[in-house]
Amino acid sequence: MKLAAKMNHHKILRIVSQYLVLGVIAVICIFPFWWTFVVAISTKGNMFEFPPTFWPQGVSLDNFIEVFRVIPILAFYKNSLLITVATVFGKLVICSLAAYPLSRMAFRGSKLILGIILATMILPSEVNFLVNFISMTKLGLVDTYTGVVLPNVVTAVSILLLKQAFDEVPEDLLDAARVDGATEWTIFYRIVLPLITPWLATVGILTAVEAWNEYIWPSIIIAKPEDFPLSAGVLYLRGTYGSSTRVIAAGTILTVAPILVAFLFTQRFFMRGMDGAVK
Amino acid sequence: MNYFLKKWGSIFNLRISSKIVSCRKRNGRLVFAQIICAFFLLFSFQASAFAVQKIEFWTMSLKPKFIPYFHDLVRDYEATHPGVQIVWVDFPWDILQLKLITAIAAGKPPALVNLSVPWAEEMARDGLLEPLDAYLTTPGQAMPYTDAALADLRFNGKVYGFPHYSNVNVIAYNRQLLAAAGITQAPQNMDELLALAVKVAAKTGKPGYAPALGKIDGFMMQQGLDLIVHGKAVFNSPAHVALVKKLAATYKANGFLKDKLFAEDNFPAVVDAYLGGRLAVMVSAPTAIKRIQTDAPDIYAQTGIFPMPAGPTGINDGGWMFHFAIPQGVKSQDVPAVAEFARYLTGDRSQLAFARLAGVMPTTKQALANPYFKQLPTNAGAAEMASAVAANSMNSARSLYVAGIDDYDELRRFLVKAVEAGVTGKADIQTSLDEAVAIWNKKLAKVQRP
Amino acid sequence: MSQYRHSSKLAYVFLAPALLLLAAFSFWPVFYGSYLSFTDFSLMRTTHWVGLDNYQALFGNDMFLTGLKNSLIFLLVVPFTQIGAISLAVLVNNQLPAIRWFRAAYYVPVVTTVSVVGIMWGFMFHEQGTLNYVLLQLHVIRVPLGWLSDDALAIFAIMFVSFWRGLGWYMVMYLAALQSLPSEMQEAAILDGANRWQRFWRITVPMLYPTIMVCSIMSVLAALKAYQEVDVLTQGGPMNSTFTALYYAYDQGLKHLKLPRGLAASFVVSICCIGIAFACLKFLKPRHRE
Repeated sequence: MKLAAKMNHHKILRIVSQYLVLGVIAVICIFPFWWTFVVAISTKGNMFEFPPTFWPQGVSLDNFIEVFRVIPILAFYKNSLLITVATVFGKLVICSLAAYPLSRMAFRGSKLILGIILATMILPSEVNFLVNFISMTKLGLVDTYTGVVLPNVVTAVSILLLKQAFDEVPEDLLDAARVDGATEWTIFYRIVLPLITPWLATVGILTAVEAWNEYIWPSIIIAKPEDFPLSAGVLYLRGTYGSSTRVIAAGTILTVAPILVAFLFTQRFFMRGMDGAVK
Repeated sequence: MNYFLKKWGSIFNLRISSKIVSCRKRNGRLVFAQIICAFFLLFSFQASAFAVQKIEFWTMSLKPKFIPYFHDLVRDYEATHPGVQIVWVDFPWDILQLKLITAIAAGKPPALVNLSVPWAEEMARDGLLEPLDAYLTTPGQAMPYTDAALADLRFNGKVYGFPHYSNVNVIAYNRQLLAAAGITQAPQNMDELLALAVKVAAKTGKPGYAPALGKIDGFMMQQGLDLIVHGKAVFNSPAHVALVKKLAATYKANGFLKDKLFAEDNFPAVVDAYLGGRLAVMVSAPTAIKRIQTDAPDIYAQTGIFPMPAGPTGINDGGWMFHFAIPQGVKSQDVPAVAEFARYLTGDRSQLAFARLAGVMPTTKQALANPYFKQLPTNAGAAEMASAVAANSMNSARSLYVAGIDDYDELRRFLVKAVEAGVTGKADIQTSLDEAVAIWNKKLAKVQRP
Repeated sequence: MSQYRHSSKLAYVFLAPALLLLAAFSFWPVFYGSYLSFTDFSLMRTTHWVGLDNYQALFGNDMFLTGLKNSLIFLLVVPFTQIGAISLAVLVNNQLPAIRWFRAAYYVPVVTTVSVVGIMWGFMFHEQGTLNYVLLQLHVIRVPLGWLSDDALAIFAIMFVSFWRGLGWYMVMYLAALQSLPSEMQEAAILDGANRWQRFWRITVPMLYPTIMVCSIMSVLAALKAYQEVDVLTQGGPMNSTFTALYYAYDQGLKHLKLPRGLAASFVVSICCIGIAFACLKFLKPRHRE
């Protein structure tokens, strides 16, 4: 009896300590967001004083309204949306087209192509922005959204994820269709693609988040600040003359809110994407 | 339909359109595809030339504070100049150069661009700016700009910009602290300012002065001591060493605010100390003085203003001018119209309005002579006095910088560290300066600029 | 793979757009960039070959050398991130109630754009900011520290932000790996009387070895290529102390428009990354795979 009670006691202690550790780390992860929100929604008090206030004071939406006046934030939203939609569309189309033959068509050179695609994972892609900038200048794609989207439309990771998705489609289905005389294209478009819709959704969401959050490449390529996407626009807010810190905080919250909301609703897609990536 | 899409695709978005075309889809999809095409078209589309003349001017980090100012200015100009459309674009200063060079390289430069003097010098040297001597005045008009402003923009004998706003430093002093030290008169030169600092420290225990020694290069230049002569670093000369020795002596006597004395930007610390009554003298532009009014009214009431003494070669401290330049690539037939707008943009009226709004100093003689600067209201506080005093100093306010050196920031760091070691007494002044000069000369020897 | 032999032509039609784009934006930059790093390329002037000039200037440049040094220091982030992520993954792998919310919380820093992260942590690191307050209250420090203004501390502040963002990302990867581990060995070990600690070290970790290897390599490469956090937090300051090698490339190439210098720096970073990737793959390959 006593042993059982002791073991129970241990178990409770363990669970409590687990929650404690998890809780502390969760606080460290979330606190900056909370604090920025408090700063943005407060209008009273000095935000940089000791002891700091962890709770809003003088709650009002003034700072948020000021953001709309100070930067063209609606234009930023629109630009972000445009870039994101275009990137997701382009990536799903092109990467699925590329993954299909690698998975389901035996053709000469397939191993080589796969190797080339894997090689791009080793090449550090971040260092390419300088030459890509020069290429865009030469191609005349500077200051266009096409220029922003094109380099991000193909990634080895997406191709590999979609290849795995295609791998899971039973071969018999395809063989039956081939026996029936369907062209490869019809098989791809009418049969296989609809079957991997969940994977497409996953890749789509991961791409959307990446495209929405990217700030350096758009700020290099796009000429006018008004055409920036939101992620670059919020830094523009910080660089403007005379913007109060509270307004900057409000702009930050407005930038982060859509992604957070979208993320909370689509969590499982992220986890599945990671599953695939790990394999 | 397919043909139509292919045609458009071939002009603008080859890959996307042909991909859509190559997919045999039902009618609905085709319409969708057209919409996507139009979508992309919208964003690859370049504005065609309209009959109206478009003048695009770029400013540096002036939004959002000056949105009303510039909107009014543009509206007024367009009202009196039909057929001209002015477009205002503002950039954060750290990306302006990139966007400008990209635009020039793409053959689509803005008509006017807001630059700082060092950037203009670099660009003029590279042949990226138009010389503007012929356009600064209309025929028969007297030169509106101050000599100092024009001198700043004169490279190789030609002027490369329309001066806009600048600044100059004044001395804001805490009356109480200075009275306690028995000082009643304005310092006439740097030696007297340093002596003042020592005296205040001795009598009140509070430091007197907080120079920005992280910018020792500007400090030396303002005192008439060049850093580089004929391509060789010379700041270990007796004159330079003497200056640093004076700084070291003042430091030893606790005349300086030690907090962040050698930091890249010690200004926040200086303001903090002055607002808290822990510093006797704050050298800054009139803009900053206004801040004291809001942040520490009691200190503000006690603040008096002295002019900052000019250096031995007559240069006033704190000059940093911004101006508008015409980049290379602007069509020559457009230049007169652009210049006319530039003269309006940087004319007396506009500059005066801007200076009042921003708390900076104009660079036109008439604006500086305006009663706003010359006639003080009876209840003038420190801010108004500062503007008036500054206005007097504007004609000798030069923007000081070292031109034409790659990796200048890196070199400057060596100089600052050497001066820091010498002033704080950690090393011998002559030796540290000698070492820094050796490093500079090694790097300067490698530089091969055409 | 089906027994049908497909026409290679069709396969390549499918692959064409992807390969074209990869060639243009992933491979071309490597070759052209390397070539350009030996020239004096500029957008405005004609280009001339200058041999090793750019590299000489690079390695004589204080800021780049600081950048290299900082990139190496940045590698310290890797063990902390990996150990932290594994521990979190193990903790979070339980069926405790509301564990989904904790998982989401840890992933939030990953889905936030770097620019916003920089602004928020700029607030936290302010001298009168929350971090200093908390540390003062806990008596860890005695005076407020200038996390972003002190040239000895700033790089560590930036590394912390990188760690903060990386935790959730790797946690999810380890979690996926953990969940795909067969549970029979764990059950057998429990029957044999092994406690949690032993089970973790003797069974879980060795089975996670491939994942650990992959994640570690990714983490090392990410540390060497770090530059976005620098851009949003300190822009290389204070006093050039937070330059990393790739940030130097970005700064020189795009802010000062010295493209050849930036290209040379990014070439050096590429070589380091490829070298380390190969070295890791060679030396860390598990000796026997299950």
